[in-house]
Amino acid sequence: MPYGSLREFLEKAEQEGRLLRIAEEVRLEPDVRTISCAAGRMTGGPVLLFEKVLGYPDKKIVMNVHGSWENHALTLDLPKNTPVREQFREIVKRWGRYPVPAKRVTSAPVKEVVLERDFSLFRELPLFRVNPMDGGFFLSKACAIARDPENPSNQNVGIYRIQVKDHDLLGIQLSAQHDLAAYLRSAERLDVPLRAAIAVSNDPIVPFVASSPLKFDDDEYAMMGAIRGAPVEVVSSEIGALDVPAGAEMIIEGEILRHHRAVEGPFAEYPGSYSSSMLQVEIRVDRITRRRDPILFENLYTGEPWGEIDYLQGLNTCATIYNQMKLDFPEIEAVNALYTHGYCTIIASRMRFGGFAKTLACRLLSTPHGITYPKLIIVVDANVDPFNLQQVIWALTTRFRPERDLALIPNAPASTLDPAHLIRGLGTKVIIDATTPVYPDIPMEDNISVDLPADTDFWIGEIQKRMQAKP
Amino acid sequence: MICPRCDDQRAAKIFDSPESGAWEIYRCPRCFFTWRSTEEDRVTRPELYDADFKLSEAKIREMIPKPPIVPPEGAASKPRY
Repeated sequence: MPYGSLREFLEKAEQEGRLLRIAEEVRLEPDVRTISCAAGRMTGGPVLLFEKVLGYPDKKIVMNVHGSWENHALTLDLPKNTPVREQFREIVKRWGRYPVPAKRVTSAPVKEVVLERDFSLFRELPLFRVNPMDGGFFLSKACAIARDPENPSNQNVGIYRIQVKDHDLLGIQLSAQHDLAAYLRSAERLDVPLRAAIAVSNDPIVPFVASSPLKFDDDEYAMMGAIRGAPVEVVSSEIGALDVPAGAEMIIEGEILRHHRAVEGPFAEYPGSYSSSMLQVEIRVDRITRRRDPILFENLYTGEPWGEIDYLQGLNTCATIYNQMKLDFPEIEAVNALYTHGYCTIIASRMRFGGFAKTLACRLLSTPHGITYPKLIIVVDANVDPFNLQQVIWALTTRFRPERDLALIPNAPASTLDPAHLIRGLGTKVIIDATTPVYPDIPMEDNISVDLPADTDFWIGEIQKRMQAKP
Repeated sequence: MICPRCDDQRAAKIFDSPESGAWEIYRCPRCFFTWRSTEEDRVTRPELYDADFKLSEAKIREMIPKPPIVPPEGAASKPRY
């Protein structure tokens, strides 16, 4: 059964032995960040529930919801031991069910308390500094919802970093390529109000889809329905008729201030470095709706990889790229874009003819995500599991011929967050063909490969099953 | 109160912990830096704040995102040379 809220997910995580309650009192800094960093960094880290926060007797904090492959499997309502490649396959399959439109409801727990004036975001949420040099207290996993002023049926749900700057003031970081930035361009040009709603602490499928690189006019709620296997329930915001997740703990509503920019950031990002402080957009908050206390505040630790963010923006990115490339090249078996949000991307495919690996690499670089993020692209044969780095390194060490199989594309678009840049936003793409050469390429003279025993894959599954069944 | 990040003198307390006496939150009206009284010295003390992260009025004026969130009217079609 899909989850209707973060609370329902936590129940399941606890039943499955994947929830760790931290019962002792913790300090907002540095305890929450330290323990959350540890849980995301270790293999198989649990979901964390901080039950006693110094200074906030009526609030709890939830961290690391997506922060291990076991947790990730549970968020998809799969058995917790589902291998990464199987999770990828399942996501691709569910992606194909799109669209499953949202179901509108008229009442929801998130409307239990409605605050219209004299509220303080510092009172409502147990905010904390995620990393020491962040410019303030950030909502790092909340989902922002807004409508396109030019086409109000087009609604976006996305994760943007959001800085709490005052009792009723938020900073939100928009980059030129973001959907919300396009909405703001329209709102400023037409000089019409732009409303935003921020959903805090959701069913884990909500941030999973909100952090997926969908197309501009794709409906995130209809994708959530496809991934969950049932429509997601939404309720109307108090102002502006935005659809907001009915299962959220809290909705913060406000108006994006047009023609106004102010200092925002810095904030530690997924490459493990701080992104700079910028003049950014602000939201004046005028409504808060929420559940009754004790409220759960879910946030995301970001820092040096690996951590929760690498899981959260991992397989959704792989599946998006895979689906886009598969349309043109059905030979593709799988895409692994897990490393630093795809800075390293591994493509596994059958080869149509010699040199085909370079064709695939170029196609990756023309997908929306591929334009900027990948800098190291490795292509392997279809029999190599791109999610198994031991197999990928085997392919690199036994298939790759540097004098023929290495290509560099200098001065190409790059992620602006890559700390290794010489010019921000530009970089060199490295393409490595680690496939077995096929006609008309020169065959490998001494390649007398050892076949895997025919039922090896069956026995891997069988051994795992028998081990799990042991008391 | 002096802002640890931009040294503005107008920083002030804006919030007391709901559980009395645990901590306070301060805020700078210029650079919007907020901090909790119980954080480490390198966050709360102006003289210990990392120089790379310090802000000034001149620095703030330079902090326009590139590329801009909303390009100036007609910018895309205007020849640069």
